[in-house]
Amino acid sequence: MVGVFAGIAFGHYAHTASTMYDEIYADSEDGINLPDIWVENPRAVWSGDQSDSFCEQISTQWPESELVLNECESRLILDGMLSIEEDGNTKLIPAIWHGIDEGYVDRVWMPVDDCCSGRLASADDEVVLDAHVTEGMEMEIGDTISIGAGHGMMDFTIVGTGYHSNHLNFAVPGSLFPADSGTFATGYLSSSGLERLANISSGSSNRLLIDLVGTPDYDLLSTDEVEGNELVELIVGIRTTMEGVSSTAIVYDRSGISSVEFLRADAEGAMKSYPVITGMIVIVAAITIFLSLQRLIQSQAKEIAVLRTLGIPRSAIMPGYILAPLGIGMIGTIFGVILGLTLGAPGMQAMYEDLIGIPVINGSVPYSSIAQIILITMLIVMFSGIRPAWQAANLDPLDVFRGQNEVRLTSRTIQKLTARLPTTIGLTIRSSTRKPIRLAFTFFAVGLSMLLLGSMLFMMESMEQMMVKGIEDNQNWDSQAFILPGAEDGVIDWAESNDADFELYILYPANPEGDSRQLMTIGLDEFATSGEDAMQVLSLAEGGYPTAGESTTQVLIDNGIAHFLGWGVGDFQSISFGSQNVEIKIVGITDGEISRTVYFHRSDLAEIVGFEATSVLLKIPEGVSSEGLGEVSVGIVEKQDLLDTFTDLMEKQQGFFIAIQFLGIIIAFVVLFNTLIMNLSERDSELATLRVLGAPISRLSRMMFGEHFAIGLIGGILGTIFSIIGTKWLMSKMVQWSFYFEIQADLGISLGLTAIVLVISLLLTPIGTYRIKRMNLVEKVKEFSN
Amino acid sequence: MSTQLLEINGLERHYEMVSGTVKALDGVDLKINAGDRILLLGPSGSGKTTLLNCIAALDSPTSGIYTFEGEKVPQNNTEEMTTFRRENIGYIFQFFNLLQDLTVLENILLIQELSGGRDEKRARELLLMVGLEDEIERFPTEISGGQQQRVAIARSLAKSPKLLLGDELTGNLDSTTSAMVMEVLVEACKAENITTVMVSHDESLSKYANRVIRLDSGRIVTDDNL
Repeated sequence: MVGVFAGIAFGHYAHTASTMYDEIYADSEDGINLPDIWVENPRAVWSGDQSDSFCEQISTQWPESELVLNECESRLILDGMLSIEEDGNTKLIPAIWHGIDEGYVDRVWMPVDDCCSGRLASADDEVVLDAHVTEGMEMEIGDTISIGAGHGMMDFTIVGTGYHSNHLNFAVPGSLFPADSGTFATGYLSSSGLERLANISSGSSNRLLIDLVGTPDYDLLSTDEVEGNELVELIVGIRTTMEGVSSTAIVYDRSGISSVEFLRADAEGAMKSYPVITGMIVIVAAITIFLSLQRLIQSQAKEIAVLRTLGIPRSAIMPGYILAPLGIGMIGTIFGVILGLTLGAPGMQAMYEDLIGIPVINGSVPYSSIAQIILITMLIVMFSGIRPAWQAANLDPLDVFRGQNEVRLTSRTIQKLTARLPTTIGLTIRSSTRKPIRLAFTFFAVGLSMLLLGSMLFMMESMEQMMVKGIEDNQNWDSQAFILPGAEDGVIDWAESNDADFELYILYPANPEGDSRQLMTIGLDEFATSGEDAMQVLSLAEGGYPTAGESTTQVLIDNGIAHFLGWGVGDFQSISFGSQNVEIKIVGITDGEISRTVYFHRSDLAEIVGFEATSVLLKIPEGVSSEGLGEVSVGIVEKQDLLDTFTDLMEKQQGFFIAIQFLGIIIAFVVLFNTLIMNLSERDSELATLRVLGAPISRLSRMMFGEHFAIGLIGGILGTIFSIIGTKWLMSKMVQWSFYFEIQADLGISLGLTAIVLVISLLLTPIGTYRIKRMNLVEKVKEFSN
Repeated sequence: MSTQLLEINGLERHYEMVSGTVKALDGVDLKINAGDRILLLGPSGSGKTTLLNCIAALDSPTSGIYTFEGEKVPQNNTEEMTTFRRENIGYIFQFFNLLQDLTVLENILLIQELSGGRDEKRARELLLMVGLEDEIERFPTEISGGQQQRVAIARSLAKSPKLLLGDELTGNLDSTTSAMVMEVLVEACKAENITTVMVSHDESLSKYANRVIRLDSGRIVTDDNL
């Protein structure tokens, strides 16, 4: 039941995520027609004439390719800010403003749903606000908002609410986690509106959106293969074209848009992981059924022996025990389907909507997938019954009547190893290991259930460690003021006049030479791994700090780059900034970055990109308001907002995490319960003999406690190791270029997992004691004499 | 004059069945003296095993009085009954009931440990007494049925019980082996000064007893000193 339920619930999430990804970005009436290639100028804006001429040149110099140009649109996208009221104070939150007229490519997505309404902005004081913002900040059509983009604040009227491809995963640039309400905003203005807001000339742009006929294959960051060769070659061709006219332009496909890539990775990850999770649960269920059937056969051994003695053939006994699990499986499956469709699927859909913050349109799990889940479940369940059925059919009636069918001896090795121990301890160890295969199955099932529980705990802890360490401990700044490239003077003046410490900071996109995958280069003034000296403290996993001004630029790379590109300390590599290739020497590797990052000395990076800063990190004295920063920057990110974002994300997922953890504990309990009860049942004769001979319940309880302690401890340790290895393996399958994450085997969690299994095992001692107490010794003695 | 070990007066044990009440014991009066070697004989359903179970404090009588060394034997309290057995009773089963995963010696040591004190020297002496000194490291499956029953005898003597009970203890053995086992048992009980009560269908075992009690329909019909 649980397997089918989980399969339908997770399957629903996976198919919903996948369908949403396909349908939203489709080149259709309902889709937003996602571009296939982006040409971006990260340093400045092109004039209207330049934009038109670039599209013209791309069109006329179209490389030889089977892919056909459909449309080339220029677009202006600027960092900025939105003024909001919070606790009676005015707060400036970072924002991104798009100039979007009624275009053909990358339209605002306004599905027919409660989320979205109104119309596109047409006048130069109108804005369509992202629905994440209007919902989170309770704004509505008709409201007037104050926004800025580096040239003072202006009032705009909200005329619509909708979503945009770049912000479906509503994260602050540089982060993957959906922003907490009131910490980030995006809006879609008319082109003229954004030009007026930023005080730049008509037709200016910093993006060219290139749409091809149809949707060509594109290279997936999650695989080593190049899936979209044609598109890759086309990008190289367009890059060559752009090198001739704008050396700063970078060209990329959809994997360069982090929100698009996030949704793709989420859908792909869910599609990959739901069969694994479902399979895991079904296998555990099958082991449970297998063990339960063995228990059933054990309790029915005498009846089977009587039937066999009366001449009933084996072939007549087997079907019953094959049909039993099928019956159990069928009932469980029916309940699983009902609960999956009525609770699991809607629950997962609600989680998707809550997490991503967009409404699910056409969410469903295909009937074929449900049929597949049912079929696989029933097959596994059927296989789980074959061996017990075979065992039942092959019971020797004489052995059963003599009680010999339950007698299994431990191995000679264990007998020898325990020979010198006190007999009670030796017997405890021997009786625990009499059925090593069953014990191995039990440990395997416990390991799988611990994987369910442990993977959640390890992931949460590792993520929390990374976020807390990465932001709370390692970021010594309070605010990050974004500026137009090179426009840092205003912020520096503000900092000096407010006694605020500051450090210039460069964040600039690049990519490994000959590789379209995007990475971020960061320029820092100070490098440190601890303390308060540097605004940003790094976690150095290997190597040392770079030295500025070397003939070959020294850098640190994050461990994700080392993992995906195989780069290591001491290597010389080359990365591309638009058409400019720069040779670097890797002197160290950092950890803790989710996105791919290369750290430069800011002076080195400034020389490469041609400006001193893209933002300023500020440590603001207590009591000083950052309000004035809005006048001199294009956006402000508060450190506390980043932390709140993560906390909010964790809270949103808490219910899901708890459900999975609970499931893991329940499964571990059922599996251990079955095995330990069977162990006890098989020892009924032994225990009854000892009771008849006067063994006190307290001594037998101690023996059982020892057995359960040993099994619990070994099972717990094995389960924990399994959980760590499994979680690392699962994570290694999920990580990709845009999302790299290492699982830390936290000692506290490892001990906790072991303790859970140990406690479950020990809980069986009172049950065993009760069972012995209830044992009818007169009946047992009668059985011994029969 | 022998001292009295136990006394039973008006002992009844009834079972409620669908078909009505079955009187397995129907007013049994019995006195057993220290050193008695009693053989309980009777047809199936005569109540001999029920009587043995009541004497062993495995079962609680429906009514009647049962005293052991002048003390009332606990009833309807499994732990008190177990303590009584541990302190006073040795028990030998028809099918030996040795723990298969323990060696001959370990089977005896286990009972000692569970009864409060491991005494390997005594365990070895008991095995010598029953003629199994060469088999102490063997497992039950590696020795014959007769040898297994001798191990069971040694095990039952391990904690020096005052009363040794045996339920069809030769029922699973051939006549030659039965004779050997019974001789060992008698000698061991004489050596340890232990009173014995054995249940059997086998009249030929009378020669190992000094008192034969016959039961029928839950009542003692004869009680003969030999």
